[in-house]
Formats: sequence, C-alpha cells, structure tokens
Amino acid sequence: MAINPVSLSVANTQIIEETNKLSANVTPFEAQQSFANTLKDAIASVNNQQVQSDAMTNKLINGEDVDLHEVMITAQKASVTLNATMEVRNKAIEAYQEIMRMTI
Amino acid sequence: MSIFTSMNTTASALTAQRLRMDVISSNIANVDTTRAKQVNGEWEPYRRKSVTMTEDNGQFSSFLNQAMGKKENAGNGVKVTKINDDTQTPFKLVYNPTHPDANEDGYVEMPNVDLLTEMVDLVSATRSYEANITVLNASKSMLTKALEIGK
Repeated sequence: MAINPVSLSVANTQIIEETNKLSANVTPFEAQQSFANTLKDAIASVNNQQVQSDAMTNKLINGEDVDLHEVMITAQKASVTLNATMEVRNKAIEAYQEIMRMTI
Repeated sequence: MSIFTSMNTTASALTAQRLRMDVISSNIANVDTTRAKQVNGEWEPYRRKSVTMTEDNGQFSSFLNQAMGKKENAGNGVKVTKINDDTQTPFKLVYNPTHPDANEDGYVEMPNVDLLTEMVDLVSATRSYEANITVLNASKSMLTKALEIGK
C-alpha cells in the first residue's frame, strides 16, 4: 500500500498560484462589488417571499378568492427562507468574530 | 425556487382536493333539487357532478431538461381539468303526486345523487387533503433539518 507523503512544498506553491490567479483576475473592489450584489440579490428574494406572504394574508382577510392553504404555504415558504438567511448571517458573524478574536 | 418543488406539488393537490370538496358539497346540497336547468321548456333535476384530475406536466422547460438528460422530471402535481355531469346514472323516480313537478302518474324525477356515495367521496377527499398536509409538513421539516447542518 502506497501512502503518498504529504508534500508541503507542492501544496504551498499550489496555494500561492491559486491566490495569484485570483488577485490577477479580480481586483478587491470588484470582488467586494460582486459579493455585495450576490448578497443584495439573495436578501431581495427573501424579502420578496415576505412581501408575497403579506399580500396573500391581506387578500385572505379582504375576502378575495384565495385558498387558505395557499396562504399558509406562502407563509411557511417565507419562514423557511428567512430561517436560511439567519443561518447564513450567523455563519458570517461567527467567522468575523473568529477573526476578531485572533491574537496578533 | 427549486427547494420548494415538493411544496408546490402538494399545494396543487390541496387545491384539487378543495375543488373536489366543493363539487361534493354541491352534490349533497342539491340532493332534492328538481329544477336545476330547463331543457326544451321542461325542468330537469340536478345531475351529479364529479371531477376529472390529470397530472400537471408543467412547463416546457422541464420537458426540455428531461430530454437533454439534465434533470429528471419529478412532476408538477395535479390539476382538475374537468367537472363532468353524471349522465350514466338515471334519475330516481319518487311517487309524490302533490309535488308540482310530478308527471301524470304522480312520479317526480329526483337527482341521481346517492348520499352514501357522496359521503364516501367526502371522507376520501378529507383524507387525501390530510395526507397532502402530512407530505407538506415532512417536506418543511426536511428543510428545517437541513438548516441545522453544522450547528
């Protein structure tokens, strides 16, 4: 059985290459912008679910032609997407705090 | 959103079962209706209604994805395509000479609604609705469990 020895030098050069590739193609500003846009889109879609749920509830209260289960399902979808957002936020904050705790 | 596919499918089934329930309630409500519609100037009793359900094959894109082997089509639920009148079962003849719609022999044509059948359909619709809600809750609990990954 051959176990490949862990070669630090290869791994190191790989990491450096990858980093160089990233920094060569994308400027920090661009990376920030693209991340910000992705986040903005995701939050907008979560908000959209909330708005939809709100609209359905209003329709039901105003006696319009909507099914009760449709209203409940829309509310549940909104709840699930919001929970997912909270999980992502928690992870991001956790990572931030981990970095802040780093002793220099 | 694709994570809600099963929820959407279940929602279509719930809508279909609600409509079925509406039809059953109409049948039971009209169990004594002798004047439902006029045919050649003569009143005809209420005809029993039933629903026809078909699989909802969904959008063109799902077919395209399936044909290209990208994604299997899990189906998009169910839809009610038709509410049909029961023309097979004959109207029930009841002897009641005092009824304004009685014929010369004193018989009245009553709707071809069988209360027992309707009650069985009612239970069936209720149970299907419950089953779909169970599916919905299971689907939701899967999603909430997935959010616990890494906790």
